[in-house]
Amino acid sequence: MAASKASRIGEETRIDKVNAELVTLTYGTIVAQLCKDFEDDYPEVNRQLDKMGYNIGLRLIEDYLAKSNTMKRCSNFRETADMISRVGFKIFLNITPQVTNWTADNNSFSLVFDENPFADFVELPDDGRAQNELWYSNILCGVLRGALEMVQMQVEAHFISDVLRGNDTTEMRVTLIRYIDDELPPEDD
Amino acid sequence: MSAAIPSVACLGVIGRNNNPLHISIFPSYDPLANAFTPIRNPLQFSLLLSSTIDVFDLRSKNSTASGDYGLLHAIDDRLAAYGFETNTGVRMVCIVDMRGRRVEAGGSGAVGVGAGLRDAELKPVFRAMQSAYVRLLQNPFYDPDEHAPLGGKGGKRITSKKFGDAMKRIGEAWTPGVTTL
Repeated sequence: MAASKASRIGEETRIDKVNAELVTLTYGTIVAQLCKDFEDDYPEVNRQLDKMGYNIGLRLIEDYLAKSNTMKRCSNFRETADMISRVGFKIFLNITPQVTNWTADNNSFSLVFDENPFADFVELPDDGRAQNELWYSNILCGVLRGALEMVQMQVEAHFISDVLRGNDTTEMRVTLIRYIDDELPPEDD
Repeated sequence: MSAAIPSVACLGVIGRNNNPLHISIFPSYDPLANAFTPIRNPLQFSLLLSSTIDVFDLRSKNSTASGDYGLLHAIDDRLAAYGFETNTGVRMVCIVDMRGRRVEAGGSGAVGVGAGLRDAELKPVFRAMQSAYVRLLQNPFYDPDEHAPLGGKGGKRITSKKFGDAMKRIGEAWTPGVTTL
């Protein structure tokens, strides 16, 4: 699909409802509270965020399909990536992460976030561990995993760098594991 | 020939429990040594900041609408303390060294030399400090309760590097006549 068409869909269907700072602060509070509840066990916080995101993704995909009016299935994973970036992220967060670093088999790509509305104002705790262990925006990985699972794609998503940690970019790696063709419900998380 | 112009010597943030939240000290130009050194030591600056609390208290009775307290007191012929208070009781103090920096006389930078400072000159400093403080509060990992607990006693200092950097930038960038920081 032409990139311009995808951008047009994302542009037209964007709907402003909520003040961005409210979202940022709400998400921040969730992460900070998780850190408190799990006593700064950051790997566990990452897992919890991913799980929350997964449950959001399962529902959000329906909303996405309704808002984007895309009846047609993506013909390949490259197109999927394009739609995620230009339509999905555009609708829900009004950002368009770059899709880059494809592997040769077209099964794995990176989303590079030039801006991340969740991470505005955030400064990770200075305890010497959060900088290396916490993936602040990990909920996004879960959202993608959940949403794609509902459209018969099993993917694995994780962050590999984050500006909050002092990296130059915020980059998420998304890898297609398989297309789920059977009608059986996917295994529970 | 060179002329002395005012510069920021110290920026302080005081919590609602009269607890110190942040102190940044900036070196002033010392013509004898031809070098930049702080004109007071950290303890003396801390005391100067503490002494402004009384002035805030006294002035708050005839309340100013804007929160800008202007000149709090002139400490000596070089140092003067200016203050700002938010409605939540956080106070920001800027101690100005009237001869903290040198500029070549006749240059365009030497505005208002020796004429003293108008209160409005410090407005950009407090506006910038306040917006830095707002950004600090928006960080979900900053817990305001830790820094000024209810009950009026104590509180931790601000450890945020971003906030410290913002204070450093403000203190170094300000000179009389600057309108935005």
